[in-house]
Amino acid sequence: MQPRRTDGYAPIRDYALIGDGRTCALVALDGSIDWLCVPDVDSPSVFGRLLDAERGGCFELQPVEPFEAERAYLEDSNVLQTTFRTASGVLRVTDLMALTHRDDLSPLREVVRRVECLSGTVRLRWRVDPRFGYGTAATRLERRAGRPFAWAGADALWLSTWNLGEQRFEGEAELAAGDGAVLAIGVSHGEPAVFPGIDELVRRERRTHEFWPRFAGRAEYDGPWRDAVVRSLLALKLCVFAPSGAVVAAPTTALPETLGGTRNWDYRFTWVRDASWTIDALLALGYDDEAHSFFWWLMHASRRTQPRLQVLYRVNGSSKASERELALDGYRGSHPVRIGNAASEQRQLDIYGALVSAIWLYVDDGNHLDRDTAKEVAEIADLVASIWRRPDSGIWEVRSEPTHFIQSKGMCWVALDRAARLAEQGELPGGHAARWREQADAIRDFVDDEGWDEKRRSYVRATTMRELDASLLTLSLLGWDDADGDRVRSTVDAVRRELGHGPYVYRYKGEDGVAGGGEEGAFLTCSFWLVDALARTGRVEDASALMDELVGLANDVGLYAEEVDPRDGSFLGNFPQALSHLALINAAVSIARGRQ
Amino acid sequence: MSGIHVVWASLAGGLVGTIALTSGLRIAQEVGLTRMDIPLLLGTAFSPSRSRALVIGYGFHALNGLAFSLVYAGIFLAVGHTGPALGAGLGLAHGMVSGGALLNALLPAVHPRMGTPWTDSEETPLLEPPGFLLANYGPRTAIVSLVLHVVYGTLVGWFAAGL
Repeated sequence: MQPRRTDGYAPIRDYALIGDGRTCALVALDGSIDWLCVPDVDSPSVFGRLLDAERGGCFELQPVEPFEAERAYLEDSNVLQTTFRTASGVLRVTDLMALTHRDDLSPLREVVRRVECLSGTVRLRWRVDPRFGYGTAATRLERRAGRPFAWAGADALWLSTWNLGEQRFEGEAELAAGDGAVLAIGVSHGEPAVFPGIDELVRRERRTHEFWPRFAGRAEYDGPWRDAVVRSLLALKLCVFAPSGAVVAAPTTALPETLGGTRNWDYRFTWVRDASWTIDALLALGYDDEAHSFFWWLMHASRRTQPRLQVLYRVNGSSKASERELALDGYRGSHPVRIGNAASEQRQLDIYGALVSAIWLYVDDGNHLDRDTAKEVAEIADLVASIWRRPDSGIWEVRSEPTHFIQSKGMCWVALDRAARLAEQGELPGGHAARWREQADAIRDFVDDEGWDEKRRSYVRATTMRELDASLLTLSLLGWDDADGDRVRSTVDAVRRELGHGPYVYRYKGEDGVAGGGEEGAFLTCSFWLVDALARTGRVEDASALMDELVGLANDVGLYAEEVDPRDGSFLGNFPQALSHLALINAAVSIARGRQ
Repeated sequence: MSGIHVVWASLAGGLVGTIALTSGLRIAQEVGLTRMDIPLLLGTAFSPSRSRALVIGYGFHALNGLAFSLVYAGIFLAVGHTGPALGAGLGLAHGMVSGGALLNALLPAVHPRMGTPWTDSEETPLLEPPGFLLANYGPRTAIVSLVLHVVYGTLVGWFAAGL
């Protein structure tokens, strides 16, 4: 493929992700690392060209001559290999973020780029342009221990090179067939820099190469689209913030849902709403440790606000996510560039259903709730029983006036239904179970009376919005009614008919209160939800055909963004999107179960 | 007042102070000021079972409270003075060391189920680290912790001075 940029920006589809469980880097097809936040995934960027081609900073590494590039992850790993072909030779770059061991003295974070000339001769150029604080902090450049060194405040970054002559942030070198070189970025935050020796660095590389296939090999899945499922699992693992077990919705901020539009949100948080999908996917694939770690984090993080839940939490468990705008150009001029997320202050009733459903899945896997957790869950159920009649901002976090979204009510039903069932099993105190069941029945009556459109034969978006909403597909996935109940089945058909566009599905087509938002792309998660819903409503062949199409929409390394533009297939929104990959895994598992 | 009396009185103050500190922390949790749960943090170092961890943690924390009261007694004897004001000052220093180093840096380093800034994809810890000044457990955690340690120190100093 011929890499291309528009005004200095690579297509979102051209990125691949590497990471170490603490932070991630986006590597473009042309060899440039355009996104890296340090020390953590929600910290400010040091390479942010993704959001400002001039001021963001990057780490370029590519042939001097014109080239074509192709790439792939090494099998079942998050180690990326890019092959550059020029008129004079072939060069291969292997990118990874090194995994460390707490007993080893190593840089706090480390990006390793190993270069090998496979044939002919290739002149290579590299340029490291660190810009701390999203490109806004004053970055000082110096030399330390013979290496180029950049720092700002408590942050520092340095480059170590081998077989490339004098160590500099920018340079060129000619490699002949058989030659190799290494460039390694080290990062520190609030501690002295650790300069790596080549032997220790090679050990960390080997450790990283060995870990990923070992991790992927634990997947208990032999169903269809196994490669896509495993790739999704590996992408999801990069979204797990290992120090706490939290899962970010995506490792990026402000990638636009419409090119040039204003829907540019920060996704480097954990949404409670994703809890159920996350635990479902991890348990289905046999990753019990990861599911338990996430469950513990979720219950611990939400403790300060319980029984009320905040929509999202920071990966360190903090509930503070105040939103502000950065003075950056934004991806291809899409501004504002936001960090933080004001949705954290909204009332979204569906998250209660997501949390209690996650707890249900956790218990269903053979675990038990301790007394404190059981008491907390019972209090959450009590709260849902008393607040479900209130309006909310819904699953899509619309910024228009709160209203009675039908999917939110359905998720409140999920919360109360699961709580009542947990009480029947003796996992929750049963004193209020009768009230939970009574209120669950009241919700069902409300949804069937106020949220059903007989003419369209479908549930609708809200009592005040009579159009369709793809989130209604989740009612089928979470057990509203029998899976093949008439109303669920015909709602699935109506969503496909009215919001579908080939394999794509739009979230909704009505108002959402975002000024200048423009026309957004199709939401990939909704496409996978449709596959899942078709499989659960007994239409496995339909689901399989749609899944085939969707798997073909991934980029060259198997990753998905949040949205896709149906006109040209280009990716939109934050990338890669954990929810897209979670939905892919759950859809594949549903089809596999349907075929059995 | 004899040295042995100061030691025993400090131990008694340490017991009462630990009860006050633990109760205060639990109240702070219940009213949503913090997610800090010292017995859970300590207990999960020994058991992944939350119920068992709490029992172990409460016991371990009580022993810590008594052990620290002996340190306080040593300082009282070294400076030849006791009293609630000195106890409060020591409690403040104790709280700062606890939030700045003991829980923030040392506990994650030895706790087998707690993440650290160095934890990577190879590990799946069950507990998030406290962060500097325990901020990960809520922005008011540091203040709650400092106030409660001052209460603890005041009680130890008060008991050591003979009430």
